[in-house]
Amino acid sequence: MLEITEVSFSYPGQAPALNKVSLTIAAGDFIGLAGRNGSGKTTLTRLMVGLAKPSAGQVILDGKPTRECGPKVMARSIGYVFQNPDRQIFRDTVATEVAYGPEQMEWGEAERRQAVAEALAMTGLTEVAEAYPRGLPRSVRQRIAIASALALRPRLLILDEPTSGQDAVEKNQLMQLLGTLNRQGIGVILVTHDMELLLEHTRRTVVLHRGQKVYDGPTGALFADPARDVTVWGLRVPDAAAIAAKITSLNEPVQSMAELADRLKESLEEKTDEEPGAPL
Amino acid sequence: MEAVRFEDFSYQYPKTGQGLDRVTLSVPQGSFTVVTGTNGSGKTTLCLAMTGLVPHFFGGAMSGRVMVEGYNTADRAVADTAANVGLVMEDYESQLVALTVFDEVAFALENAAVPAHLIRDRVLAALESVGLAGLEERELSALSGGQKQRLAVASVLVSRPAILVLDEPTSALDPEGAADLYELIARLNREQGITVVVSEHDLARALPHADSVVVMAAGRVALAGPLNEVLTRMLSEQVYDAAVPSLRRLKAALETEQRQFSAWMTAGEAAAEINACLKSTRRLSLSA
Amino acid sequence: MKSLAPLCNLLLMIMVSIWTVLLWDPALLALLLALELGLLAVAGQLGKLAKALFGLFMVAMFFAAIQLPFDVAVATAVASGLKMMVMTVAVLLMLATTRLPSLTAALVRQVRIPYEYAFMFTSALRFMPDFIAESHAVREAQVCRGYVHSKNPLKRIVAYAASVEPMVLRAITRSDTMAMSLELRGFGSVNRTFSQQIAFQTRDYLMVGFLALVTAAVIVCR
Repeated sequence: MLEITEVSFSYPGQAPALNKVSLTIAAGDFIGLAGRNGSGKTTLTRLMVGLAKPSAGQVILDGKPTRECGPKVMARSIGYVFQNPDRQIFRDTVATEVAYGPEQMEWGEAERRQAVAEALAMTGLTEVAEAYPRGLPRSVRQRIAIASALALRPRLLILDEPTSGQDAVEKNQLMQLLGTLNRQGIGVILVTHDMELLLEHTRRTVVLHRGQKVYDGPTGALFADPARDVTVWGLRVPDAAAIAAKITSLNEPVQSMAELADRLKESLEEKTDEEPGAPL
Repeated sequence: MEAVRFEDFSYQYPKTGQGLDRVTLSVPQGSFTVVTGTNGSGKTTLCLAMTGLVPHFFGGAMSGRVMVEGYNTADRAVADTAANVGLVMEDYESQLVALTVFDEVAFALENAAVPAHLIRDRVLAALESVGLAGLEERELSALSGGQKQRLAVASVLVSRPAILVLDEPTSALDPEGAADLYELIARLNREQGITVVVSEHDLARALPHADSVVVMAAGRVALAGPLNEVLTRMLSEQVYDAAVPSLRRLKAALETEQRQFSAWMTAGEAAAEINACLKSTRRLSLSA
Repeated sequence: MKSLAPLCNLLLMIMVSIWTVLLWDPALLALLLALELGLLAVAGQLGKLAKALFGLFMVAMFFAAIQLPFDVAVATAVASGLKMMVMTVAVLLMLATTRLPSLTAALVRQVRIPYEYAFMFTSALRFMPDFIAESHAVREAQVCRGYVHSKNPLKRIVAYAASVEPMVLRAITRSDTMAMSLELRGFGSVNRTFSQQIAFQTRDYLMVGFLALVTAAVIVCR
């Protein structure tokens, strides 16, 4: 649905932040976007939602170049969730906050209500609809930001470091939510430094390094190839993948530590069955 | 001697009534302690209580006491306690108040009326120790996020505190940045003997450096003790077990009564032991 | 000018402003302006400020132009435009060539302004870029939710008000953190040292003498 062709971008007086990056995003993808701070991740996502215009190349949404699209058109297709939810929350109840987008679209009353109710339900916020958003925990405010984007019924959701500042429990809940949304057909682009999340939840990963795309492919394969040194791109091999790579009896890459544990247990259990008291 | 000791310390913020509930805890001198727990469990309050900002800055009700280097924080001015404890806050950018790097680091010394001719050397030494040497004339707005954080560390180190407290220092950093920051504080801990307390969500980051862990839950200390012991108990007693590094979760999942592994710190160690174990499995099944 | 004491730079700015008030000759004012621009160029700031200076020039010209219908002599109108320009550039020049912390130190130690006031001024400057970035971010978040800049000024004001609340709330948490930081670092102590070099040296005294001379000449020539 979104196609990026040879896009470059530079901030005045600086080295190019992006250099001829091309990328095709299909409907319903779950993509991780990784790389060092300053590698161009944020610039790329800003171009995707039209917050910045490329200095060369094109961003094409559903076959149409976005250069002429206004923010209204972009926001209806692509939702952007900022790292810090507090930058966007400014209304007095969760429901009115979520309604801001539909109001900007000048939808009719009934459609507006419907969109807000749906967005709240999808994010599990129906019960706090009338609460004051700033009094709620950060993890809930993050959900409000997601709901606010969902209220415009986008087909793609871009989240910039959504798990920063979240504890382990909240992080799991957030990833569950994103998984559910993805299964409902919403594409997800997850900008993250958390390699374990990347491995466990994304199917495809794009790595940027100094403004260039250096990897675009299955997430599992990114870490499974011992010949590829991802640390030069500022990434870290997740422990599960690092262990799996060193264990010869595992032929396929693993997606999570839980999966690795199950598979190793299987191979180890073969022995334990006969072990107790078994004569050597 | 303990660097910090909480003695049955309870505290409530004036507005929300939340805070700490009967915390008894000791942080040994020279240790590297990680504080973890869900959001709202009291990690930040625990950090602030070590500096005296809780209760002095916030007000509210308290009982029990917090001893820092033998002084009761309640009896001293915050600035005096700060000579013993340096704090790098979660929002470290707002902690910085000056326009240039030099002035930021010099700020506390100037306020403490340190003679001007001594300030320069101490500022440069502090910048050197955090890897910002040569940037002293730089304006703050020209620094990256990671550099600003190092500057915040330098600006408290310059007062030569015996204890360094960092509240969620890595939430805005990339993996390298986070690893570098931990290297830096581990070096301060090792070489200068500074007691380090870090509140952290991602225990895997702190794993190679920390020697003890405190798990907070609802304003209380749920678990506290040596690193390996606490990690094991988090899993076995299901206390915030979601935060246990995946390496240790794997170890717990694979261990049986007959099969025990050592306390893995890296994926390499884990893989080596698992491989050895698998090899003996194969040998056994062959011989059977 | 960078090698002059901060107070001397401040004095220079004040004296130039006084001359500007006293002088009405467009040629002399233009000369003063040229001198200022030359000094800015020497300080290496001319390129950085070019855009702002051009804007300033347009405003000054506009200011001169609107006086003409009111029966004001052309020379007087031009002079008033120039005066405005010279004074503003004097301030820019002072800020460009004086490190603010040194200026703070000078104001506190030599002019005896209470440190708290001087600090308020510098911290406002410290947080200004952050606030600008913050306001950009808030507006962008709204654009991402379909906000379109309206041509209707009333709607624009309403939309702008929407971005004020997150900023104000953020500013409050920020100032809390800063207040804690100040307390931890012993802000407000009675004795305070300044590590900046602010004392007058020979060249500063020479400059003060020169300024006094020119001022006297300007007064006499009037």
